[in-house]
Amino acid sequence: MRVLMPSSAAVDRYLGEPSRLAVHVIGLAGLAAGLILILLADLSDGLSQPGLHAALACWVTLPYLFAGAIAWRQRPESRLGLLMFCAGTGTFVNFLIWANNDLLFTIGLATQFLPPLLFLHVFLAFPTGRLTSRLDRLVVGSAYATSLATVTALLLGFSAPRNRLAIADLPDTASLVWRADLLSVSALMLAGIAVLIRRRLSRPRPLRRAIGYVVDSFSLGLLMIALLLLAGMLRWTALQDPLRLATFSIVGLAPIVFLAGLLQMRLSRGSVVRLIEELGVNPGPIELEQALARALRDPSVKLAYWLSDFGLYSNTDGREMDVSDRDDRTATPVTRDGTPVAMLLHAPELNDEPDLLAAVATATAITIHNAQLQVELRARVQELRGSRNRILDAERRERRRLERDLHDGAQQRLLALSLELGKLQEDLRLEPALSSRVEMLRRELAAGLAELRDLASGIHPAAVTNHGLTVALESLVTRASIPVEIVGDIQRLPEAVELAAFFLVCEGLANVAKHANARSAVIELRHTGDTLVVDLTDDGIGGATTINGSGLRGLADRVEALGGRLDVWSPAGGGTRLKARIPCE
Amino acid sequence: MTIAEDSVLLREGLVRLLDEHGLEVVGTAGTADKLLVLVANEQPDVAIVDIRLPPTHTDEGMRAALEIRASYAETAVLVLSQYVEVGLAMQLLGDSADGAGYLLKDRVANVNEFIDAVKRVAGGGSAIDPTIVSALISKQRNRDPIDRLTPREREVLTLMAEGRSNQGIAGELVVTLRAVEKYVSSIFAKLDMPRTNTDSKRVLAVLLYLRG
Repeated sequence: MRVLMPSSAAVDRYLGEPSRLAVHVIGLAGLAAGLILILLADLSDGLSQPGLHAALACWVTLPYLFAGAIAWRQRPESRLGLLMFCAGTGTFVNFLIWANNDLLFTIGLATQFLPPLLFLHVFLAFPTGRLTSRLDRLVVGSAYATSLATVTALLLGFSAPRNRLAIADLPDTASLVWRADLLSVSALMLAGIAVLIRRRLSRPRPLRRAIGYVVDSFSLGLLMIALLLLAGMLRWTALQDPLRLATFSIVGLAPIVFLAGLLQMRLSRGSVVRLIEELGVNPGPIELEQALARALRDPSVKLAYWLSDFGLYSNTDGREMDVSDRDDRTATPVTRDGTPVAMLLHAPELNDEPDLLAAVATATAITIHNAQLQVELRARVQELRGSRNRILDAERRERRRLERDLHDGAQQRLLALSLELGKLQEDLRLEPALSSRVEMLRRELAAGLAELRDLASGIHPAAVTNHGLTVALESLVTRASIPVEIVGDIQRLPEAVELAAFFLVCEGLANVAKHANARSAVIELRHTGDTLVVDLTDDGIGGATTINGSGLRGLADRVEALGGRLDVWSPAGGGTRLKARIPCE
Repeated sequence: MTIAEDSVLLREGLVRLLDEHGLEVVGTAGTADKLLVLVANEQPDVAIVDIRLPPTHTDEGMRAALEIRASYAETAVLVLSQYVEVGLAMQLLGDSADGAGYLLKDRVANVNEFIDAVKRVAGGGSAIDPTIVSALISKQRNRDPIDRLTPREREVLTLMAEGRSNQGIAGELVVTLRAVEKYVSSIFAKLDMPRTNTDSKRVLAVLLYLRG
């Protein structure tokens, strides 16, 4: 398992992104450098073929300057662009050796080995522009250290008398130091190749990234440089010219290839943007895996979800998954706020692009987190709906029980009592004074019974449960203050549904009587499929809402508790329409 | 006469009340099934049925009443209930008000009226609870042509709808039979209703008219 650090791009931004103006200046400077090289070669006294030399000089210098500038501008988070630009500059300076002026010649001489050193640095630092391993830094550091030998050779009088740095006149020693310098630079080039080969063997480039191979093949340039330097030292004159041509060709092409490599990584970043767009439409687990495979261009991508309750990773079916690293697979953890969310299983080659992996992992974390939130939210809603149902159900049962108790108990007893009183009154008809007192008691009792009956039906409208919605609604409509028409006839439905519809019409008609100032109303009942539709329309003044009228809100709550919905249309002056859809499962 | 009432207290009270008024109770039942057996065996003139009977105490009594109405033409049915519903009254009457009654249980306390209602139903007439009739009439309030009736005519209409005979109405309102007949023909004329032969036909016609 590899732990990904977040992209260090932000940290390295201190180098900054060159402005458009700076890029233009660099471009002009590059053109000027080209002209100067041509002039140097043309005016030089020591060159046999000034045209060929000028062309070769331009060929190895200008691509570094231009590709470096472009890469610097396009990938500011990679230091490679700046590095390539420096390599171009160093190469340019090195060609000052052609100058007839001794000072310029000395500068060119002193920087003779700078281009190979910079090339070595560029090759080892591709693609990030940074030397990541200690070995890389050791090789490149040693390479730069050889400059001390170059300076020493110059101080000792190498290539005197034109060498203006000479403070001693020891030409043999100077030549020896120079050749040792040459040898060590060549050896470091070969060491560079060894480092590259070792790196490739430990992290093979993905097959599908053809450009990676091209970049690799350009490490041959280092070998060519080493050979060229050795040929110079060993004075293989016959080999020198063709070697130089081949070396310069490869070394001059390298920055273009590097630039292409960098830009291709830029495309990978584009694929992350696409991924985020795709994930924005809330994919299912399978779509998520497919989107990840596309973004990483790795069809073998798998996602293992972390189940914190069980302490293991599972696939989408809930089966446990082994997420340990294997030869053909690497696991990259996907975390959110430091806690594991999932594990991204992918081809090990992708480790070459830590930025891409980190971006994809972050996008994945956000998506999974969102999905988890949604699942949790849905579960909560389900739980709440269930408990609301159970509460209402319990309330309903309790009310029914209370009504039954009243009916079977107090009401029956009082009825029997009032019957006895009636008979007593009849027996006392010859004694008017007593009879009228009993009559008074009987009337009191009758009033009490009526109140008890209202109370009982307020607790639970037994007529709805016992005889159905249609019968109960007819009585309701008969008692209404305005003419109400009932349209549609329905069969018996589950008690909860009938009661909800009854209360809806009750409250609705009460509202009509209180607020609507209506002349008439219509109740439409329809039972279609598994849904009861209750439509209550009046021709009143409108303006009712479920928001402030607690009565309507309560009705909506009851209907929604049964999984239904209540819609209210109540334009000012346009009447009010309540439409409830109640599922009858 | 049979009684189906699950409250023993009330059932015994009813039996004694009816006995005292010379109405013979041939059997009592606590459930709808027992009632139907009783009716089949005894062929009583009237079955007094509580609308809520065991086992579920929902509409067993009502269904038994409808069953008797459909199958035993000789047995009139008087349904007693703790609540009165217009819809149930219309269900019970069906296409004829002959020998059918639907009263609030509270009515048993007014002995004379109750005995009168039982006798009326037993004699092939009908008895509809005043609550139902007044609800229906107040529903038609402020509407033509009910609005054109005089208060007295409305009283007569109410009593007609309850199933009272002209004689009964005359007694109730303390007027002459002739006066009642005059009111009745005036009502029928104003409401533009055809005259009917019997009291129970009149009940159904008036109820249907009021129901709208």
